[in-house]
Amino acid sequence: MADLAQLREAIINGNAKAAAAVVNTAIAEGTQPMALIHDYMIPAMDEVGRRFECEEYFVPELLLSARAMKAALEPLRPLLASSGIQPAGKVLIGTVKGDLHDIGKNLVSSLLEGGGFEVIDLGSDVSPGKFIEAAQSTGADIIALSALLTVTMPSMKYTIEALKEAGLRERVKVIIGGAPVTQQYADQIGADGYSENATLAVALARRLMSGTRQATA
Amino acid sequence: MTGRERVQARIQGRPVDSLPLMPITMMFAADTIGVPYLEYVTDHRVLAEAQLETAAKFDFDYVSVISDPAREASDLGAKIQWFDNQPPAVVETEALLSDKASLAGLRLPEIAGGRRMLDRVEGVRLLAKQAGVNKTVEGWVEGPCAMAADLRGLNTLMLDLYDDEGFVIDLFEFVVAMETEFARAQVRAGATLIGIGDAAASLIGPKFYQRFVQPYEQKLIRSIRGIGVPVRLHICGNTRKILSGMGETGADIIDLDFLSPLAEGRAAMGGSQVLLGNMDPVRALRDGSPDSVFQRLEECYAAAGPRYIVGAGCEIARGTPRENVLAMTRFARGRN
Repeated sequence: MADLAQLREAIINGNAKAAAAVVNTAIAEGTQPMALIHDYMIPAMDEVGRRFECEEYFVPELLLSARAMKAALEPLRPLLASSGIQPAGKVLIGTVKGDLHDIGKNLVSSLLEGGGFEVIDLGSDVSPGKFIEAAQSTGADIIALSALLTVTMPSMKYTIEALKEAGLRERVKVIIGGAPVTQQYADQIGADGYSENATLAVALARRLMSGTRQATA
Repeated sequence: MTGRERVQARIQGRPVDSLPLMPITMMFAADTIGVPYLEYVTDHRVLAEAQLETAAKFDFDYVSVISDPAREASDLGAKIQWFDNQPPAVVETEALLSDKASLAGLRLPEIAGGRRMLDRVEGVRLLAKQAGVNKTVEGWVEGPCAMAADLRGLNTLMLDLYDDEGFVIDLFEFVVAMETEFARAQVRAGATLIGIGDAAASLIGPKFYQRFVQPYEQKLIRSIRGIGVPVRLHICGNTRKILSGMGETGADIIDLDFLSPLAEGRAAMGGSQVLLGNMDPVRALRDGSPDSVFQRLEECYAAAGPRYIVGAGCEIARGTPRENVLAMTRFARGRN
């Protein structure tokens, strides 16, 4: 019988093999995928985020846990797809045009995925056009833009302007972050939210999704 | 005192006539003479002209060849992405050591071979010739963690720390050997100080810093000091959990970024360590006013105590108002 408490521990400790093994056993026993995700996997990544926030965990531990989370999600994906279960929201994420720094973006991406979001990672040096193309083809709810350099921050503004021109701005929320980025800058360029770190980005995305759902209810 | 004498005196614990002033400038320096950053990083004559002009305009005590983290990686054959007006960057998705086995075949670059590392050495030579009498001339190398990340890919290196300790050690050994030779070439060309940039070290936490990175920073610093010049250690980001380890590296000057309070650095490293920093380069320096910059420096100096050098937490950002940088100068020259 699957020891589901071990799933949580395996993700927190970054043990990908153990996490996948528990999930495979649980599936074979008929455990519902959403029960695994909501009762064990998301709480595990929330705990990882908490430890990162209070500097018990650092980037290596976070990436290790993210790898374990991915390994645990892998066998669940076909089951989720066939049952039509919706994620917490769909997020397009990328480091903006001209910027190749992706560690911060990867941390946010991992925690969002761990938080139950479907994350489509466009990588680094992503042009406004590529964001628009992906937003159109995926129907994303949120676009998350990252920049590490002051010189690439204007690409965030250009991406938001391009979304307006493409008629997509009303449909999608835009959140931004990165070392030089500030709330003031987010307000200035008309972003829907700013987060100063990866864990707060997940809370921000949840808040925006809840607002979106209330608005469309 | 000349800038060179002032910096030397501060490092050696002798009195100074005013606080040494050593903010990092790269794109800000290129903008000062109105050249695209691509020219700055590819032509040492442009870099030297920009550094000399910036140092003269703001009365900095030093000039530096710091420009981008991709010089060594470039000469080793890593794929680099170039931009017209910002620093080049290593393309992580095609990292040189994406296959760990490639490390065994990697040879130290021939600095004299006429590529980007040589361009930096020539930059040092030109700066030493034109300003070496009056200014500290700072050479620059990458630290073990930053360079390893450039070669292996930052995300991958983070996992290697857990997955393959032996590989990480071999890679750090390679980096320290390469950077020692790079520093030696710059000292021969006239550098009177070597800066080490090890940004990635702020991401890994105290456990891995103490186990892997700090011993290799220490080794590199010992080697460079053995060549006969002092060393500045610059780790961008939040280093609060590794401050005492940084203080044990033997670096003559330790930079603190704005996320790491100077008072904590002082408490962790003791009264004799020279500290440099640490106002937020964007929120405090670029977006502040001359008065707020001056006030922030008062706070920095009070927190750091007498063994202090004026600077920002990291590079002075492009677009920082001239008056705000002059406020730094006014502060430094008014204190000793």
